[in-house]
Amino acid sequence: MELKTTAIDNVNISKLKNKTKLERRRLLVKRFLFNKSVLIGTIILLFLTLFALFAPLITPHSPLAMENANRLQPPSSEHWFGTDNFGRDLFSRVANGAQVSLTVGLSVAVITAIVGLIIGLYASYYSLLDHILMRVCDALMAFPDILLAVAIMAVLGPQPVNVVIAVTLAKIPVVARVVRSSSLVVKEQTYIEALKSQGASSWRIIWKHILPNILSPLIVQVTYIFAIAIILEASLSFLGAGIPAPNPSWGNILLDGKIVIFNASWMTIFPGMFIVFAVLGLNLFGDGLRDLLDPHSNKSIK
Amino acid sequence: MGNQYLLEVNELKTVFSSESGPVTAVDGVTFNVKHGEVLGLVGESGCGKSVTAESIMRLLNEKHTKYDGEINFNGRNLLSLTNEEMLGIRGNKISMIFQDAMTSLNPVYTIGDQIAETIMIHQKMKKKEAYNKAIDMLKLTGIPSPEKRIHEYPHEISGGMRQRVMIAMALSCKPSLLIADEPTTALDVTIQAQILDVINELKEELNMGVIMITHDLGVVAEVCTRVVVMYLGQVIEEADVDTLFSSPLHPYTKGLLKSIPKIDGDRNKKLHTINGVVPSLNNIPNGCRFAPRCTYATEECLNEAPLLQVIKDNQKVRCWNYRQLLKEEVQNNATTII
Amino acid sequence: MKAYIIKRVLSMIPVLFLVAIFVFFLIHFIPGDPASVMLGPDATPEEIDNLRSELGLNLPIYQQFFQWTANILQGNLGTSLYMNMPVLEAFISHIGPTLSLALLAQGVSVLIAIPIGVLAARKRGTSVDSTFMLIAMLGMSIPSFLLALILMLVFGVKLQILPVAGYESLSSGILNHLKYLILPALSLGAIQAAVITRMTRTSMIDILSTNYIKTARAKGLRERVVIYKHAFRNAFIPILTILGETFGSLITGAVVTETVFNLPGIGQLVMNAITRRDYAVIQGTILIIALTYLTLNLLIDLLYGVVDPRVRLNRK
Repeated sequence: MELKTTAIDNVNISKLKNKTKLERRRLLVKRFLFNKSVLIGTIILLFLTLFALFAPLITPHSPLAMENANRLQPPSSEHWFGTDNFGRDLFSRVANGAQVSLTVGLSVAVITAIVGLIIGLYASYYSLLDHILMRVCDALMAFPDILLAVAIMAVLGPQPVNVVIAVTLAKIPVVARVVRSSSLVVKEQTYIEALKSQGASSWRIIWKHILPNILSPLIVQVTYIFAIAIILEASLSFLGAGIPAPNPSWGNILLDGKIVIFNASWMTIFPGMFIVFAVLGLNLFGDGLRDLLDPHSNKSIK
Repeated sequence: MGNQYLLEVNELKTVFSSESGPVTAVDGVTFNVKHGEVLGLVGESGCGKSVTAESIMRLLNEKHTKYDGEINFNGRNLLSLTNEEMLGIRGNKISMIFQDAMTSLNPVYTIGDQIAETIMIHQKMKKKEAYNKAIDMLKLTGIPSPEKRIHEYPHEISGGMRQRVMIAMALSCKPSLLIADEPTTALDVTIQAQILDVINELKEELNMGVIMITHDLGVVAEVCTRVVVMYLGQVIEEADVDTLFSSPLHPYTKGLLKSIPKIDGDRNKKLHTINGVVPSLNNIPNGCRFAPRCTYATEECLNEAPLLQVIKDNQKVRCWNYRQLLKEEVQNNATTII
Repeated sequence: MKAYIIKRVLSMIPVLFLVAIFVFFLIHFIPGDPASVMLGPDATPEEIDNLRSELGLNLPIYQQFFQWTANILQGNLGTSLYMNMPVLEAFISHIGPTLSLALLAQGVSVLIAIPIGVLAARKRGTSVDSTFMLIAMLGMSIPSFLLALILMLVFGVKLQILPVAGYESLSSGILNHLKYLILPALSLGAIQAAVITRMTRTSMIDILSTNYIKTARAKGLRERVVIYKHAFRNAFIPILTILGETFGSLITGAVVTETVFNLPGIGQLVMNAITRRDYAVIQGTILIIALTYLTLNLLIDLLYGVVDPRVRLNRK
């Protein structure tokens, strides 16, 4: 065997490598398309993004304009989703709410990913730091997320930015822990030991060699965080501690709708549908991604 | 054939359904095991030897598995038995021990619990009796102070000890057939020998037939009386152990034997290797399955599959050119002697 | 085992300390002067000054912290400005509905989720499996307050068999008590059940592919015994972890669900405290809940010792 490989000249090897790389990419694309969860999740998320971007543009009604004469109108050709208890157009409010919810969710996902990544990576590398940071995470995780967020909102005041801060703070420990445990595994690998013995700097080892290996669990986790952030934002707004009125968000439309739930069920059904849709899309996407990226769950059934 | 055989595997075919279509892991395997005999089942990983064993035990998930052929055990075809009937055979009449003793015992139950469980279900014994029997079995496998060990958990004892526990468990109902799937692979060399001795001794004592699955020809030489060599789901050679080592017929067997390092060999000489790798089961060669890796392959070998032919002294081989090869070898030997 | 318990309890101390620091400083994150924020815009400077000295806000910050911690260690969580009663008392008077709701939701969801998870694992890849997993996925994607609203719509308008708001304490009879809790528990338990079902399935699938399950089958054990005696006991270990971790989401859900169904529980206490800027109540409540969470997880860690002999003995 040994003889054979040396017999092949280098050009051939690099060609072969390129070919397998292409092959692998093609396989990944194929698996991506054949993974129903990822596919459906992607379609849902794509639809929601387009909805959030363009729906506010196509409706003639402002999300804030109140028409007292048109209060609590059921869905019609004029008001597709009906109107709320102030006579505002519900379609326009749900569409603008989509912008708010998705923006808050995405911001939380991105910020928790970055901060959690840094904390998790460095904690896994320096054991003293690990002890300190993980105790801090333990302490933060001892607060149920909504209570923590509600308390922070109570202190900071109801503002969209504060929603992002509150939810981010509640979720950073989760991401940090996932990153830490995955990179602890990577750190134990022989090639990291080898790099260390060659005198590679810690910066180089952490960012160039550990980071690429923990990206998949991070991405999967962040997808779930995105979903949780949407739920938390909706819950906070529903409690009146999130996005302040009169600006629409799915949560505070539901809050308005709760008072009139038996008279105007559309105020509950439409925003509710969108929340479920968004969270379902993200969960499906995350699940599918996990199956794609984790070779473990890919075992064929025997 | 009469009843002289304990187990007759006849044209066994095991097919898995997989996402990419059916995969034939075992393709027409035939062999027999007598009482008191140790049959070696040899081959590289993926050749179907473990699947053959698990087919005999009917341990494979039968929703995704199809069998064909016969597995006659004491005159009953195991493949036609109901699940209920198989329950009375597994662990009772036929037992199996696995390669990885470290992970083959349930971590949350004591050793005593696990051995006694087998005894209780098959021999309808009370718990107390079963525990005493378990202690006897542990003693038989050479575990010191078994009364104490019996209350320990698997993670508290060494790998060699765990394999002894597995053996004690497997033999606790005095089965007539023991299937040992690479029982020594995961163990240290010194412990390997001890475990093989235990199996050999207990085989004598219980007059069991043993199927020893291994890729280690050293193990074969030590304990087996007869050997079946498998390649890619088929039997390619079968012979008694002396014949196999002295005059192997199949080029693959020859390659396997040549790749064993010799203690008195030339240290500078490279060890023999067989070129290439075992093809996957999804991609079985048309003709002789070994042909793509065989240095003697001819046009015929690549196009037409050879059958398993009976040669002399109960030696069987699946090769078109064995006669030719035999002739050449004799000539070569003659020239080297001159 | 004893050493393990002691070690585990000691390891809680730094976490408790950090929790205390966080809760303490919460009030200091309030932009501006906490006393004037608490009393609202109508307060006179005199009232504000009084409150400042009452809260000890004039003292250096470390002294405030020590004072506060010392009070807590004596069981004094401060006084609710609005309700004019000790925070602990207010908490205890509101815990009943929340506890009933959480226990009912958790109990029912475990009883439903575990058998379904085991079944799905055994039937992996079949339509039974994918149906249950689809339902679980849907259950995970509906926030409990939204499910609460939907249940309200369905039961309040269409079916009208269960009350959609209000509460009767246990003293008014168990059936009466439960009647008011069924819908809240259903909306709260659905997400729990979904999470536990998925966890059970994954865990069981992992365990069913281990070598010792093959050994158990090779022994001639019935499938039922293999699944419940050999596999489930091992699969239960990660499920136990999830039960501890989901306690947080249970309380989270309870807070929001209570406001939907108008249950006079902790959720209502906290939400009222927020609108009234009753910070002592907010601080006290989240401190108690965090402590409960930590204690619960400590208990679960100790339970590992019972379920898994490796934990019990390794750390002797």
